[in-house]
Amino acid sequence: MDRRTFVKAGCIGSASLLMGLDPMLRADGDAPATPPIELRGLPDYKPSPLGMPGLFPGRVIEVRDPNSIVRNRVSQSIVRQMLEHAMRELTGEESAQAAWAEFVQPNDIVGIKINPSGAPACCSSPEIVREIIASVQSVGVPARNILVYDRYSYEMDIGSYQALLPPGVRIVGIQDAFVDSAGYDTNVYCTANFFGEWETRSYMASIVAQVVTKIINLPTMKDHSASGVTGALKNLAYGTFNNVARTHRAPHSFTNPLIGLMCTVEPLRSKAVLHIMDGLRQVWHGGPLTQVQDFIDQTGLLLVATDPVALDTVELEAIEKKRRERGAPSLWQHDPSSITADNNVFFHDAAKNLFFRQPGHVAAAGKLGLGVADLKQIDHRALSA
Amino acid sequence: MPSQPELMTTDTGKPKALADWPTLLKDNARTGGQGQHPARSPERAVWQYRAGSSVRSAPILEDGVLYVASVKGVLHAIDAATGTSKWRFQAAGQVHSTPSLSENQILFGCDNGNVYALDRHAGSKLWEARTEGEVWASPVVRRGVVFFGSADTRVHAVDAASGRTLWAQELGGRIYSTIYAADQQLYLGCGDGKVYSLDSSSGKTLWSTPTGNGIDSSPAVAGDLVLIGSEDFWFYAMNTTTGEVRWKYETGLGISSSPAVSGDLTVVGSKDGLLYGLETQTGRLRWKTTVGEVVTAPPVIGNGVVCIQAGGTFALDTATGNVVWSAALAGAVQSVPVLAEGTAYLASLSGEVYALR
Repeated sequence: MDRRTFVKAGCIGSASLLMGLDPMLRADGDAPATPPIELRGLPDYKPSPLGMPGLFPGRVIEVRDPNSIVRNRVSQSIVRQMLEHAMRELTGEESAQAAWAEFVQPNDIVGIKINPSGAPACCSSPEIVREIIASVQSVGVPARNILVYDRYSYEMDIGSYQALLPPGVRIVGIQDAFVDSAGYDTNVYCTANFFGEWETRSYMASIVAQVVTKIINLPTMKDHSASGVTGALKNLAYGTFNNVARTHRAPHSFTNPLIGLMCTVEPLRSKAVLHIMDGLRQVWHGGPLTQVQDFIDQTGLLLVATDPVALDTVELEAIEKKRRERGAPSLWQHDPSSITADNNVFFHDAAKNLFFRQPGHVAAAGKLGLGVADLKQIDHRALSA
Repeated sequence: MPSQPELMTTDTGKPKALADWPTLLKDNARTGGQGQHPARSPERAVWQYRAGSSVRSAPILEDGVLYVASVKGVLHAIDAATGTSKWRFQAAGQVHSTPSLSENQILFGCDNGNVYALDRHAGSKLWEARTEGEVWASPVVRRGVVFFGSADTRVHAVDAASGRTLWAQELGGRIYSTIYAADQQLYLGCGDGKVYSLDSSSGKTLWSTPTGNGIDSSPAVAGDLVLIGSEDFWFYAMNTTTGEVRWKYETGLGISSSPAVSGDLTVVGSKDGLLYGLETQTGRLRWKTTVGEVVTAPPVIGNGVVCIQAGGTFALDTATGNVVWSAALAGAVQSVPVLAEGTAYLASLSGEVYALR
């Protein structure tokens, strides 16, 4: 077999994803079948043992401090303490510096994958980005070898990351606008024709394929109208490959299985060594773009893991719990009467949605070997700051 | 104390001299030197021009030529009457900097660290000044000296005729704030969260006043007040001589919008989606109006209206804050409308430039 991996609807891999992990998909009745999906990784890339699920499969560290965010303002000093505490607990090391040294070496070029979509109401907090930068520098990586990046530069602009981050660090928007392919590696891609779209390939960002040697993933904690939640997996997959909006055509979405499949493509899988979920704010409806503060809780927590599946499983449970508390339907609900085509209705009514959500993408990623999706097997350690 | 009143636009029309361009968009009202023209609701598009990539900076109009910098590094000179290209200049990097004008020069910063000076009639390069970080701020000009901040953490002063460096002063963070250049003093915000006043002849720090987070906003100066927003959600008025905070006003999220000032009205947008009208001397709220989900662009104060781009283009009554008209064009949150001679010129996130009348 050559280095291309074919996943077809009729073959065991894809069929098991659809039928075994997300049975609600069948309840949609007219849900389209998953087409053949072709993945092509970087040729001759040697997988790293640090790659997903990483050094600590199934382990998720949660640190909560209600004073870390007060009236939407984030405390730099408390975030620092929370992150240090979480990193020591994750690794068992006595110092935060030693903990970071398990993931990053001085000669690394480190990419920090933020999530600015939803800025300014809910995006990767600059205060956490600053702490990650300081931590990476503490093990000897110079500022010039640290890149803070995301797909859309205009979303990063709204977050003012350029002005707020330390000097010397590079801040990179992979693409300038919706149609801009210059920042992508045409040798690394995912091909599938989901809805008859004219462009059936999604390419991996060159910065991931060619530039960085390690990725620190900084997702936010949100529901997502198509994928159910957007966490570590989706921040990596849909924030690394271009032309992914084509996988949604209301009310259907192929985020399951595509999110997990994209995360298996090398070198993304090997380079993503640590996932730090910004749960200072928690969006329980309207994600990923909502600016409606009624649906954003200031929860004040950080979740840290090397296993993105375990991390997103914990996130999924937390968002489900919050929705239950607020009387909103489950993320797993596939009731056609809940679907609206009106964005404005969706953004202001927690009972409505634009798509049949696909939270099963997290468990599907587990089946691909990216981590642990069974809550009973997840070592979830909840700490106070 | 610096003399400021001559920098305010007046009802008598735009200033004649191009030599000084002391702040973002030339004057406190952010008109780009167009003075206070009436801005009525546009009814039709006169022309449309494709810049080829996003426009994140503000267009500038002078002598019938509209200058538009697109992110992909092209400065376009467009005939304002016809919408046809007069010339284009390709810079060596992306451009987020709003251009400035001085005499026959057009100046702008580039992500490759350069500031370019071009002949504004021919589009040919006159000189370039080099820094070690991207220059998103707008270069400003006072008494033959060009001042600008860079992400290399330095404020640079270069000779406007030659581009020769006169001095460079290091501050504590990245600089994306456009300088306000008064007679003797420079004012700007910095990524380290401080507002600085520097001696314009030497770069020496005269005072610095901390805020609670980094600063992306560019200051206006009205009388003895420096007016600027911070990412700490507060809008500040500081004494020009001492840096003492005279008053501050709290908004719902960070402020990267740069204030526009006309008389005793200061208008600034916040990322909470609101535009705030404040009394310049006291900070008392006159009105606040929701104009979009997020406001990051500077407003422009015209004759009785304030215009803002925030997902669309809105014109508000300066007295009440009520929306007078809106246009669902030009979604670029960082861009700024140009209002002149009954025409509104808009640039968009998708790279379209429109003339509406």
